[in-house]
Amino acid sequence: MYREWKTEWMKVRYRGIGLILLAFLAVVVLWCTWAQHSFSKEQLSDGYRMMFLQIPLMDTILMPTMIAMLASRLCDAEVKGNTLKLLCTMERKGRLFDMKLLMGAGYLAVFVAAEIGLIFFQSALHGFARPMEGIQLLYFILQVYTVSFGILLLQVVLSFFYENQIFPLAAGIFGSFAGLFSWFFPDGILKKCVLWGYYSELCFIINNWDRQTREVSYDNAPFDLAAFCLLLVLLAAGYVLGKRLFLRKEI
Amino acid sequence: MKYIIETSALGKQYGDQYSVKNVNLKVRPGCVYGFLGPNGAGKSTTMKMLLGLVKPSQGEIRMFGKEMRESNRIEMLRFTGSLIEFPSYYGHLSGRENLEIVQTLKNVPREEIDEVLSIVRLEGQQKKKVREYSLGMKQRLGLAAALLGRPKLLLLDEPTNGLDPAGIQEMRELISDLPGHYGMTVMVSSHLLSEIDQMATDVGIIDKGKLIYQGSLKKLHDKAKGNIRIQVLNPETAVRILEEQKGSYDLEEKELVFEEREEAEVAALVTLLVRGGAKIIRVTEQQKSLEDIFLKLIGKQVSL
Repeated sequence: MYREWKTEWMKVRYRGIGLILLAFLAVVVLWCTWAQHSFSKEQLSDGYRMMFLQIPLMDTILMPTMIAMLASRLCDAEVKGNTLKLLCTMERKGRLFDMKLLMGAGYLAVFVAAEIGLIFFQSALHGFARPMEGIQLLYFILQVYTVSFGILLLQVVLSFFYENQIFPLAAGIFGSFAGLFSWFFPDGILKKCVLWGYYSELCFIINNWDRQTREVSYDNAPFDLAAFCLLLVLLAAGYVLGKRLFLRKEI
Repeated sequence: MKYIIETSALGKQYGDQYSVKNVNLKVRPGCVYGFLGPNGAGKSTTMKMLLGLVKPSQGEIRMFGKEMRESNRIEMLRFTGSLIEFPSYYGHLSGRENLEIVQTLKNVPREEIDEVLSIVRLEGQQKKKVREYSLGMKQRLGLAAALLGRPKLLLLDEPTNGLDPAGIQEMRELISDLPGHYGMTVMVSSHLLSEIDQMATDVGIIDKGKLIYQGSLKKLHDKAKGNIRIQVLNPETAVRILEEQKGSYDLEEKELVFEEREEAEVAALVTLLVRGGAKIIRVTEQQKSLEDIFLKLIGKQVSL
C-alpha cells in the first residue's frame, strides 16, 4: 500500500494542487477580513460563532468548485495518459480508486486545518471575547470535512469517467449554486436530497438580524445528528457504488 | 512448463456478439509469438484478457503454468510487461519520472531505469517532459516501462502503430532481439503480416474472434510454397495418365496443379504426360505468398 501511496505523490508533482488550495484559501481569508472589518467590536466579541457560520457558508460556494478542480487534477492524468491499462497490471484497480480518494482527503484535511488556523488567527487578531466551545470545533470539522469528502467522492468518480474534464468541473460549479440555494431551502426532505446542501443542513449556528439596531447576533443551534448519520449512510453507499462503477469500467 | 501462456476456450461476449470466441492460445517460452489479424479481429481484447484488464466471459487463462485468477493476477503479472494499443504516460512528468512511477510500483531497483532507457535509446531525452515527446519516443518509453523488472513475458499490442518507417524498423529490431538478449518471451500483435513475418517465430492468426491458425512461422511458410501448374487442352487424358501413375495433383479447370518439386521431376512429369497423349500448352511455376495464405485462411480479401 505504501508503494501505491508514494506513486500517487509522484504523479501529482507539478500539478499545482497546492496553488489551487492556496488560491481558494486566499479568497476565504479576504472574505473573512472584509466581513470582520465591517463588524462592530460587540459583534466581534462573538467572533467564534460568527466564523463557524461564515466559513461553512463560504465553503458552500467555494468548496464544490475547488474540489472539482482538485479531483480533476488527481484523476485526469490517468484518463488523458491512458495510464489505467498500465497501472492496473501493477496494482489493484480498487486500490487505485482508494488512493485517489485518500489523496484528495489528505488535501481536504490540510484545507480544513488551514481554515481552523484562520479562525484562531482572527481570534488572536481581533480578540474574540466570548470563548469557543470545544464541541463546536468538532461540529465544524464534522460538518465541513464530511460534506466536502462526499463531494470529493462524487467528483473523483466523474473525473475518472469523463475524458473531457469540463463535465466534472461543470458539476462542481452546479454544486456551488445548489449548495448556496440550499441555505434558503425550507427544512425538509429536499434539503437532505442535495449533497451540497448538507453544509447548511449541518450548520450549528444561527444568526438573528435585529431590524431596529441593524445588527446580527449569533446563537447555538443543535447539531443535526440524524442528518449527519444520513450523510454517513449516503457516503458509504456512494463509496460502494462509485468504486463498483470504477471496477466495472473496462479499460 | 510447456507453454508460458495457455488459454482454453477463452471468450468475451458483448451483448449478443462474441468479440473473442473459444480461443486456445499456446505460447512457447522463449519465442516471439506474432498475433496476427485484421482490425477488429479480437487481438486487443484477447491481450487485455490475458492482462486481466477485461474480464473473460468464458474460458481459462494459464500463465507461467498457473491458472490466472483475480486473486493472483497482480502477483503473476509481476513477471510480465505490457504495452497495449497506445503508450501510457504522464505528460506533465519527464520520461525518467514516468519510469520512476513504474519502478516504484513494480518494486524493482532504481538502477534498472538507466538500463531500460539505454535499451530503448532514450537516455538523452529522459529529462524532457513526455508531452513534448514524438509518438515514436512515447512508444519507446512505453516499451521501457514494460521492460522494467526484467519480465519473463512481454505483451505488446500493435507496438509500431503510428511510427514512421525508421521507428517501425527500430522497434522491430528491438523486439526481435529481446528473447536472445534477455531470455524473454514476447507476444506481439499486429494487423500487418509483413511485420509479423519479420519479427515472429510462432504465429497465431485470429479473425472475427476465432483463432484460425496457430503454429510456427516456418510451417506457415511451408504452406506458402509455390506450385507447378500445367495447362492442357485435353485434361481428361492428363487425368487418366496421372490416375494410372497414382500421382498427387489438383485439377483447376484445364490446369493441373502439383506441389513444388525439383526441375528434373518437372521434366519427367511433362515427358510422362506428353507420351500419354496430353496436349500441354503451358507449364508455369506459381509462388504463393504468405499473404495469399493469410487471405485464404481468413477466407476473404481484406484491407490489411
